[in-house]
Amino acid sequence: MHHTTTGEKILRGVLITLALVFFLFPIFWILLMSFQTNAQILRIPPSLFFEPTLINYTSLITGELQTAAGSLKLEFMHNLWNSVILSTGSVLISLLLGVPAAYAFARYKFRFSEDIAFTLLSFKFAPPLLVLLPLTLYFQAIGLANTYIGLIWVYQLITLPLILWIVRGYFEDISPDIEHAYRIAGHSWAKTFMKISIPLARPGIAAAGLLSFIFAWNNFVFALVLASADKQPVTVGALAFVTASGIQYGQIAAAVVISITPTLALALFAQRYLVEGLSLGAVKG
Amino acid sequence: MTMLDLQRVTKRYGKDTVLDDISLSVDEGETVAIFGPSGAGKTVLLRLIAGMAEPEEGAILVNGEDLIDVAPENRAVGMAFQNFALFPHMSAFENIASPLEARRSTKDAVADGVHKIAKLLKIDHVLGHAPRELSNGQKQRTALARALVAAPRLLLLDDPLRNVDAKLRFEMRLELPRLLEGFGSTVLYVTQDYREAMALGNRIGVLIDGHFVQIGTPEDIYLTPTTIEVAELFGDPVINLFEGRVEKAGDGTTAAIGDAKLPLPTGYEDQVGQPVIFGIRPENIAKADDGTAGAIAAKVAALLPLNDRLVRLLVSDDGHEFYTSRDLGSEEAVGEGARLSVSAAPQDIILFERDSRRRIAPAR
Amino acid sequence: MRRKRRNWLPYLLSLPALLVTIWILIPFFTAVYYSMMRYRLSLPHLKGFVWFDNYLQFLTDARFWYTVQVSLTYTVLTVVIELVLGLGIAILLQRSTRFNNLAAMLLLLPLMVAPALAALMWKLMTNPNFGILNYFVSLIGFSDFRWASDPSSALFTVILVDVWVYTPFIMVLLLAGLRSLPKQPFEAAALDGVPKTFVFFRITLPMLMPYILTASLFRMLESIQQFDIIYAMTQGGPGNTLTVFQVESYLQFFQFTNVGRSAALLMVLWAITFFLSNVFVKNWLRLRERAHGVEAE
Repeated sequence: MHHTTTGEKILRGVLITLALVFFLFPIFWILLMSFQTNAQILRIPPSLFFEPTLINYTSLITGELQTAAGSLKLEFMHNLWNSVILSTGSVLISLLLGVPAAYAFARYKFRFSEDIAFTLLSFKFAPPLLVLLPLTLYFQAIGLANTYIGLIWVYQLITLPLILWIVRGYFEDISPDIEHAYRIAGHSWAKTFMKISIPLARPGIAAAGLLSFIFAWNNFVFALVLASADKQPVTVGALAFVTASGIQYGQIAAAVVISITPTLALALFAQRYLVEGLSLGAVKG
Repeated sequence: MTMLDLQRVTKRYGKDTVLDDISLSVDEGETVAIFGPSGAGKTVLLRLIAGMAEPEEGAILVNGEDLIDVAPENRAVGMAFQNFALFPHMSAFENIASPLEARRSTKDAVADGVHKIAKLLKIDHVLGHAPRELSNGQKQRTALARALVAAPRLLLLDDPLRNVDAKLRFEMRLELPRLLEGFGSTVLYVTQDYREAMALGNRIGVLIDGHFVQIGTPEDIYLTPTTIEVAELFGDPVINLFEGRVEKAGDGTTAAIGDAKLPLPTGYEDQVGQPVIFGIRPENIAKADDGTAGAIAAKVAALLPLNDRLVRLLVSDDGHEFYTSRDLGSEEAVGEGARLSVSAAPQDIILFERDSRRRIAPAR
Repeated sequence: MRRKRRNWLPYLLSLPALLVTIWILIPFFTAVYYSMMRYRLSLPHLKGFVWFDNYLQFLTDARFWYTVQVSLTYTVLTVVIELVLGLGIAILLQRSTRFNNLAAMLLLLPLMVAPALAALMWKLMTNPNFGILNYFVSLIGFSDFRWASDPSSALFTVILVDVWVYTPFIMVLLLAGLRSLPKQPFEAAALDGVPKTFVFFRITLPMLMPYILTASLFRMLESIQQFDIIYAMTQGGPGNTLTVFQVESYLQFFQFTNVGRSAALLMVLWAITFFLSNVFVKNWLRLRERAHGVEAE
């Protein structure tokens, strides 16, 4: 056997530490900034030691920022609410539509089945603007412009293929004989689907739901093109906020922290399934 | 009365014809063992009857009713799967209860039914366990209980003893016939083990490459196999085959195997001069008195203990190798290298055509 | 001959999903149509069908070729850097120890940050007034490094953000791949005393190749389309330094209201991604079959 020498071990440790620093420092630093006043942020050289303040968060939550120049309205909480509605709504609808479809593709070979499955997959790879730009014109015409429903509909292009292809893999892993056994025992197809297939694929369905929520939450371009200020999620809102608030860096940092916390938390929660989800079911973690 | 009637059933998967124009009638209360090598189409046959797949051609009738448009849940069959197919997220109790629940029995009736069958199969102490907590034997019994609990008119057992250890298989082989009889169900029992087929089946259907090569009672199949292939599938050690020809001897005929000439029963007179293959089962080869005319002179080449019997590999003076499993005397008396003469009773010699490998029945 | 009945159930189950997404073809074909039109929102009276004029104009248009060049540079650099870093980190963390698994989990976090917000974070860190990174580079002698606001370092900056966000993607896929490799070849090589570099290049790398291919094709597909990071960071600027495909077509549409040109640009991008996604799907399917061995009947 090869023995790892002490030198190798140290080198390995140093490299891993370097990687951790590079990938975690930005999150750490923005978190620190969010607890600092503008004056503290602007201090040079920057310091790790400061008296933390919650002012950035309170002003985001109350929606008002008191400055020397007067009171400034902040719409950030509204953006947060939009993100929640858009992501949750999209995921729920995608689950409702995607899980049965995933089952069909997993269990039946029917005419055009693979064509349909791959068509749905290909939506994930097409340049989004190609569709979004003409869509702005159509959405105006049919009254879906700047509505939650319109946005959630378009979000299906992100969440549905993801759910379809992850859950399909989970259904494929269930032995068809288990379903057959339940039917032969005297239960209808629908009951078998609800009592056997869905419960057995539940981990996959949950994982696909969480992951597609993360992707919906993190989406930027869909809402940038199709939503006005009152329907924009945090990704677009935070950017607009930078321009609006000018130099209120503490609030921007706090807004970023609030915006990325849900996805980071969900990711930790769903980490067992992340690999499978990110590869659309091609690699098991 | 015919309960299950398969009429010229053909099943294809793509270009593969898995079952080719097969027919079989099963009487009420009868157990038919479907026996054959793996890949013969045994499981597919059960799937067609259970409604998990549809035949391309032919009809499947139960009590005269065509099942083609009947959904699996309405076919009132019970099935035990080779891989058990237990519901992993339900307890053993819930597994067994599922057929009763589907029939909308009351809660008490369900519990009653489950406990009764569980007791019979000696798994009443593990009813609360999840399938992954059960031993293989308990899983197998749970699967069996689930198939039996609703007393289905037709019971399909797909090699249920395949995945259990040898000791358990031995026990179950003794226990199952009694159990099945108690239920009075009509049973199709799929197996790859000829002993199981012979122990459990009132009749055996020998399925090879999608065809029933022979359907008959265990005795029929053992004593009068239709082909050499069937003869070879039943019996251990395998049947001895000798190429030779039928020769005339006085009023009767003999089997000429090399220099040996074994008398044949009447009815083969028209085969005289034909090259044939003689099949003699190892247990039918007996020691002949020294000097018996026409006996096979041979030497013991090897001794092979098999279960409780002693099997000998003999080589005749003209080079034929064959087995005997009959008592030829003690190991010391007839050991390796010993010389002896053997022969077989006329009725124990089975004749096959050399080219078609089919059995030649004696003329009446 | 028995009539083979068609089972409608699978169609019934999959149709709703298809119906909800298939309308995407309408704007798609609209885009195809627009790409063959002279169509500026500001000059509606000039609107007309011009066949392949927009595409032909690209041939001699320096701005188009710049878009191609900067998009390809961006794609190649991000994918190569992320592949090297991701593979390196995956190998460092290959052994499944508690520390390694914790590190892998933490390293995954940037991937869960919305790319647009990641750009915003790096913007805060590279702010000329207080950016911590400005402070760091000033310590090693770059006193006025202007990151994304300087044309000479803008590409570098957005690539840095892309690497920060997406390296974990490659890392986590290759790590899963590495850990799923069969053990025997490595044990045999170790017993025979085969040098480690040889093992890496002759055993590890070839066996990992399907994972490497799938991961980098996936990244290429996304990278050539990158919009969020670049738009959030510089909106394509400074000047038109970072006008990659999607940013450029966004600007053409909203800023110059040149719908025809914008659509034609996106069609060119679509052709590229269509080709890439076909190659990708082939590799991806092979991996998928490996993960889900059993095929339903």
